[in-house]
Amino acid sequence: MLTQKGRGLGLKMTDINVSALHFDHKLGLFGDYESKSNIIKISEVKDLTIVQIAKFKKSQVNIDQIKIDNLSLPISYPEVSHNNNLRILWTGPDTWICVSQNSSTLDEIKKYCNDNDFGITDLSHSRAVVQIQGDQSIDVLKKGSPFNFNQDNFSVNNSANTSYNGINVMIDYLNDNPKTFNIYSLRSFGGSFYHSITDSALEYGYEGI
Amino acid sequence: MLEIKCPYCGKRSQNEFSYGGDGNIKRPPLGEEINTKDWDDFVYFRDNPRGKHTELWHHASGCRQWFKASRDTATHEIFATCKMNEDFNV
Repeated sequence: MLTQKGRGLGLKMTDINVSALHFDHKLGLFGDYESKSNIIKISEVKDLTIVQIAKFKKSQVNIDQIKIDNLSLPISYPEVSHNNNLRILWTGPDTWICVSQNSSTLDEIKKYCNDNDFGITDLSHSRAVVQIQGDQSIDVLKKGSPFNFNQDNFSVNNSANTSYNGINVMIDYLNDNPKTFNIYSLRSFGGSFYHSITDSALEYGYEGI
Repeated sequence: MLEIKCPYCGKRSQNEFSYGGDGNIKRPPLGEEINTKDWDDFVYFRDNPRGKHTELWHHASGCRQWFKASRDTATHEIFATCKMNEDFNV
């Protein structure tokens, strides 16, 4: 439902649906950014298709034989199966999150994972996704999360469910150069999470893009 | 910081976990007449030992799985953790 605040700004319903951080994400330079060249960049990632796959307990399906867009489902923490279109994150035993910018991903998943063996849930509108990029992004993450981000424990194309200042998040390590992370929080926690992570980034200086 | 080894995710900070109670409690069998005392024991009464104790824990901010932990209630040392359908290998 369009809020009073949204009506006042002349926004359409679709604007509100697309962006979970519409009223929170600000563009520009913030914090201690002066005379620094490689400052952190923080952005909102929008229009993702996010689908949860949960294998039923009674199912006898062999996971190794399931391929979605030629990707297999990772069988344990912290691996991420990925190609240019799709990332499949392990979130728990027999539970995965598929993330794609392609809206047909849901149909693709349903083709390979049938209703008798898997619960398929479209979570596209239930997450707020923040991308943080830059050499010091890992320091920002360390400030709020108890997770061990050291390289031997967490490297590129890994993912982890953990918490950030008490907010449950899923962290996807996308790239090593520059260090890039997508961080997924529940949509209703998105504002709090955004303020929490940008507050931690002020010390290093960041650019909202 | 206390670390707990989740059987699915490995060592994680205690902040990610929730305590789930005594891991030794067995539900009275289904389909049998259960007297009030047995129900009371099952629902309300727990031992409060000093020393080694089997507990249930939940990886609430991680993989959201329940598991068993063997822990010393006096020193907080965790001897072992295992999946719910497994036994401790200690």
